Amino acid sequence: MGCGSASAVPYWRWPCSSPPPRVASGLARTDEAAARTLLGPSRSDELALQVESLARSRADIVAATDAERRRIERDLHDGAQQRLVSLAMNLGMARASLTDASDPARQAIEAAHDEASRALAELREFVRGLHPAVLNDRGLDAALSGIVARAPLPVKLRVDVETRCSPSVEAVAYFIVSEALTNVAKHADAAHAEVTVDRDRDRLRVRITDDGRGGASDGGGSGLRGLAQRAAAVDGTLTVYSPAGGPTTITAELPCES
Amino acid sequence: MRIVIAEDSVLLRAGLTTLLTDAGFDVVAAVPDADELLRAVAEHQPDLVLIDVRMPPTHTDEGIRAALVIRRQYPEVAVLVLSQYVEESYATDLLSIGTSSVGYLLKDRVAQVSDFLDALRRVAAGGTVLDPEVVAQLLVRRRDDPTDRLTPREQEVLRLMAEGRSNNGITDALRVSPSAVEKYISSIFAKLDLPPTDTDHRRVLAVLRYLRA
Repeated sequence: MGCGSASAVPYWRWPCSSPPPRVASGLARTDEAAARTLLGPSRSDELALQVESLARSRADIVAATDAERRRIERDLHDGAQQRLVSLAMNLGMARASLTDASDPARQAIEAAHDEASRALAELREFVRGLHPAVLNDRGLDAALSGIVARAPLPVKLRVDVETRCSPSVEAVAYFIVSEALTNVAKHADAAHAEVTVDRDRDRLRVRITDDGRGGASDGGGSGLRGLAQRAAAVDGTLTVYSPAGGPTTITAELPCES
Repeated sequence: MRIVIAEDSVLLRAGLTTLLTDAGFDVVAAVPDADELLRAVAEHQPDLVLIDVRMPPTHTDEGIRAALVIRRQYPEVAVLVLSQYVEESYATDLLSIGTSSVGYLLKDRVAQVSDFLDALRRVAAGGTVLDPEVVAQLLVRRRDDPTDRLTPREQEVLRLMAEGRSNNGITDALRVSPSAVEKYISSIFAKLDLPPTDTDHRRVLAVLRYLRA
């Protein structure tokens, strides 16, 4: 029976041209829900997208911070450092030309020369901590020997990384070693430390061990928390094993391409 | 002595030129990058070149690469490299071609005018001058613990030897008697199993064997 035959329409059937509103909207809702389920992104798809976008923007921020440190290092190297070297050199020449040790001018120049030399050394330490140029140029192995040599305690260094990781990850590994050794020198009361860096497929493992008194934790206030945050910024992990009485081992595992 | 300076900072290039000229050296060229350095060396055949590590275009290790070219092509030209930071990997490169007439110092050292001029003369005279910071970095490279074999005092003596100091220089620096210094040095030679040849040669060998072990 066709829709149009008015004579045969039972009392319960609504005319075809206008279905009852409630039924229609119900159908539409069901339809829409089915379409969403079948065609559209699910809640977990949406979350996955969000995670991906957050990870991407975080990686961008890490890379941008890294680039910014490099820029500052370069600016200081080309600007303030050269000026200070020049200043210290001129004062050195003036000092050498004044031979009378009792001359007040000579004493003033001597003091200024010493002060300029100290400022230069301090600035050099600071700038190298920002981002060592040798890290980009020659990698972790070459860069780490610089901080290890300057540590106030004997440190053994072993780096076994054949293929280099991304610049961001290398920078994080460098700062972890640098900060960890500063911590060891300040708090650990250690006689020796050892730094090993190796690469296992796509993971870079950085380990700093010292024979100090142990009891280090990554709780508030300690530099270790900052290290954990640095590692996390590139999707890495940092674990601290430091029983009272020592020894302390800090291990960072970082994905190479972050 | 005829010197070529390669330094990209205008300020320092001028400062170094004044410093060396005042000290009686003949600065025959002062250039801002590695290409011009190589041209100046070919043209002037200087006795010594003073080279900054970071120069244009990439501001990384241009100076080291130029120094290596000069060491290979002009072995009679002494090379003194200056850098804002000293790095052992650069030092190893520099020393790989030979250990005479070569030096590598932190740029800061130019402020200690007379020490710097002494270092420059030692390099020109065929010596090896390494910054104490380089030596410290090279020491951590040793596979076994350096304290195992040499006493701290002997290490100190060796460090001064690596800086190119003579026995007299070491005597002055450590404020000990000349005979004590000789004793330390022969003990270092013995511990490093160096055969008795001429002393100067053994000194360099001692430094290198120790640093590269």
